[in-house]
Parts: sequence; structure tokens; C-alpha cells
Amino acid sequence: MLLDLDRVTSYYGKTPILKEMGFSLPEGQCLCVLGRNGVGKTTLLRTIMGLTDRTSGEIRIDGDPIGKAPTHVRAKYGLGYIPQGRQILPHFTVKENILLGTFARTDGRQDVPELCLSLFPYLAQNLHRKAGLLSGGQQQQLAIARALATNPRILLLDEPTEGIQPNIVAEIGQTLGRLNKEFGITLILTEQHIKVARKLGDAFLMMENGRVVARGPIREMTDELIERHMTI
Amino acid sequence: MTSLDIAPFANALVLGLSIASIWLIAAIGLTIIYGTVGVINMAHGEFIMLGAYTSYALQSSFGLPFLLCLPASFAVVALVGLVIERGLIRYLYNRPLDTLLATWGVSLVLMQGVRLIFGSDPKYIAVPEIFQSNVEVGFASLSVFRLVVLAITALIVAGTAYLFYRTRFGMQVRAVMQNKEMAASFGINADRVYMTTFALGAGLAGVAGSLFGVLAIVLPTMGTAYVVQAFLVVVVGGGTLMGSVAAAGLTGELQSVFAFITNDTFARFLLYVLIVVFLRFRPRGLFAVAKGRR
Repeated sequence: MLLDLDRVTSYYGKTPILKEMGFSLPEGQCLCVLGRNGVGKTTLLRTIMGLTDRTSGEIRIDGDPIGKAPTHVRAKYGLGYIPQGRQILPHFTVKENILLGTFARTDGRQDVPELCLSLFPYLAQNLHRKAGLLSGGQQQQLAIARALATNPRILLLDEPTEGIQPNIVAEIGQTLGRLNKEFGITLILTEQHIKVARKLGDAFLMMENGRVVARGPIREMTDELIERHMTI
Repeated sequence: MTSLDIAPFANALVLGLSIASIWLIAAIGLTIIYGTVGVINMAHGEFIMLGAYTSYALQSSFGLPFLLCLPASFAVVALVGLVIERGLIRYLYNRPLDTLLATWGVSLVLMQGVRLIFGSDPKYIAVPEIFQSNVEVGFASLSVFRLVVLAITALIVAGTAYLFYRTRFGMQVRAVMQNKEMAASFGINADRVYMTTFALGAGLAGVAGSLFGVLAIVLPTMGTAYVVQAFLVVVVGGGTLMGSVAAAGLTGELQSVFAFITNDTFARFLLYVLIVVFLRFRPRGLFAVAKGRR
């Protein structure tokens, strides 16, 4: 298995947000993590990246335990993170934002990867533009390009379509599909857009109150399940 | 205005530039530490003082030429800064008040430590004879050493700007300044960035001290004379390199011109009043440092 989470509990301060979470993810799969707001989806991704206050249990990549490693070391295991709200660096240019990803590379490459430019022609044409001046959709493209510059094996995407225009949502969905199917990058995706999840996902994981309440292949993600665990 | 009228005013402007370079070189280490690490380093004056004593000690004990004392002071004070950051400051990040008190404590320890080793009597740093002469700069007459200070300041500013804006190390520093979490998520060791920049800032204070030891006498308390100006430059500039350059240039020239019109004491009074008024309307300074450092 590429990624294993074994009885992982994660805290903000003294409060456990993620409780006894466990799953295994084979290489090349796209796992959609679903649930209402506040059930722990973002915390799951932050836990994998080592961005929470305290974590118990074990996280392994290719069998190597990384649960005790600091975030900057985990990044070098091939984890590309696209956080909620994108968090691009607004004072950096587009190029500098992409180059930021190269610090996580272990092959010594320090240039803008060709893949980032070919997937996102707008970014290629605006490399010297300040990132803070880009639109929401362009910033999301930049966040994906930055994560791709790490040469990731797993992309962790936190609500990648949140706050994006509907026509751009489809575009981003297509790009992610290509990265998964064509380039073999494993995806873990938290998503509110059921359509996007159904289109991209191989498997799903439904969360409630910090725990997994349902899981399985994406075809088993029934309307009834969605009704029960996602509608407010 | 005749050329005779212009001469004293031009002299004041050149002198202002020289004052600006002194204030800037005193402030540049503080700017780096505050702008990057977010620490208000109350021991900055004592880092300057350590630089002066390092040069004095190397010169009096080993006869090291003054120009070699400059890099040596940088190295020694950077090492002291590194030890202080690793041993104390790194445990206090995110606690600004504690850091303030801790660095103030460090300043007292350094001052008393130097007093114990070297005593309280003044020391002097010798420079090559050519530095002691005067040159005519347009209408103004300036000591060669002040021009040396100006040149070294310009070199340090250019070097620091290159390091921060043209190298991968600089990119790491700026990324950590903007968003520490994101920087870490992309493989940057923020802890190491903080350590290195703190040591760099301390080392630059050491170079400043080495120069100030020539401009004035070397005393355990000498740091306090420069630290006020250094803080003013950093606060007015907003904690960025370019902000400090602009703030030092502006305040140095204003001080010199006010002194030309009135006198030194009143010029300082007027300058401080202006700074207070400026900060009332622009509390984050000329060029504010990035938000959301951590």
C-alpha cells in the first residue's frame, strides 16, 4: 500500500478532531473524502501533512512510518498539498509560487516542471505576474501547479472546487482526472461537489464526527448515503 | 542662492547621507531578525557592542588588520547569535512578550560579561592612516572612514537584497515570512531558516559594531547609543529591507538638515516628534512586513 493510516487520532489543543481513523490507499487510486462541514475532512489532510497539534496512531508511506516526522520532511515523501482556500503566496510571482514546490523534490531539480506549464497555459504566459492578482480559479490552478512541482506521488486536495465558477470547476475536475489516470498520481480529495467526486473517485470515505461511517468503491456511494450523511 | 550659500546646505545633505548609512548599518541586522523571525531583539545593541569588542580583541591580541576584523566580527557575533537562538529564542517563538524580556535579559548578560572580561574603561580600534584623513565631496568635507562606512553599508544592503531576492535561500526566507505552514508543506525547514537568519542578523550587527568602534570609543554600554536609532529605522521602515533603507535615508537627511537649520539637540527632538506623528497615521511603517508569518 502507498499510504496507510492506522488508528490515527488527531487533536487541536486537547480536543480530538479525528478519532481512530484508519484506511489504506493503493497507488494510483483516487479517494474521495466526503461529509458535512466540520466532520474532520480538512483535519484528515492536515494530519497526513503533520500540520495538527498532536497525533497518535501511525501514518506510513510505502511502509515507512512518517507520523513523527515534521511537515517539511513529510513533503519529501511525495506528498503534494493543495490546502483549502489555496493559500498561494500573494507577494510571490506565479513562477516563484511554482518554484516553492521544488524544495520538496528529492531529485535535485530546481526549475519549473514542464508539466505545470503544459497543464496550465495561462500560468505559463503569466509567470512573472504577482500571484495575489490572479482570480480564484487561476489561483487554484497555481496551487495545483505548485503541488505538482514537488513531483508528488500523492496529491492531497482540500475542497479544490470550493468558491470556483462552475465552468472552471469542470476544467479543474478534468485536470485532476488526467493527473490521476494519465500520470498515475494518487489523489485524496475532500469534496462537496458530488458530481466531481463521482466522476473522479475510485473509492469514497464518508465521515461524521471525526470517524469513518461508510466506505467503499465509488459506485456504492448511493443517494441514500449522501442524503443521510451530507444533507443538512 | 549663490554657491557660497549652497555649500553649507550641500554639506548638511552629504553629512545626512553619512548619518543615514550609520543608522542603516546599525538597523539592518535588526530588520532581518524582526522582518523574518518576528523577534524584537532587545540584545541588538549588545550584538553591536560584541562586534566592536571582537575587533578590539583580535587587533590588540593578534594584530589583525582592521579590514580583516570586519569579517571576523561578523563570524564571531553570528556564532553568538546562533547559540542564543538555539539555546533560548527558538523556545519562545509565538510569545512576543517573553521574547522581548528574554532578549533584554541576554543584553544585560552580554554587557556584564564583557565588563567582567574587558573592564569598564574605554578601548580603541586602530584603522589605517588613510582612513583618518578627510576628503572633499562636492561642497562638503567628510572623513574617509565615513565614506568607508557608506561603502560597506551599500555593499551589505546590495548583498542582503541579492541574498533575499535572487537566491533559493532568500526564497525560503520570504516564503516562511509569508506563510510558515505552507513553506513547511513544500519541504522548507522553517526552524533552520529562523536559525540562519537570526545568526545573519547578529553577524551584521557585529560588522556595524566593528565600524562604530572606530567612529566612537568601545565601551560595554556603547550598544544602547545605537539601538534606539536602529529601532526607529526598523519601525519607520516597517520591518522590510527596502523600508529600512528608505527610513534610514529619510531620517538621516532630516536629522542633518534640521541640525543645519537649528542645532543637534533640537533636530533630534523634532525628528522624534515627526516619527511619532508619522506612526500615529501609519503604524505599520513605510513598507509593512508580510502578515501571517506564523
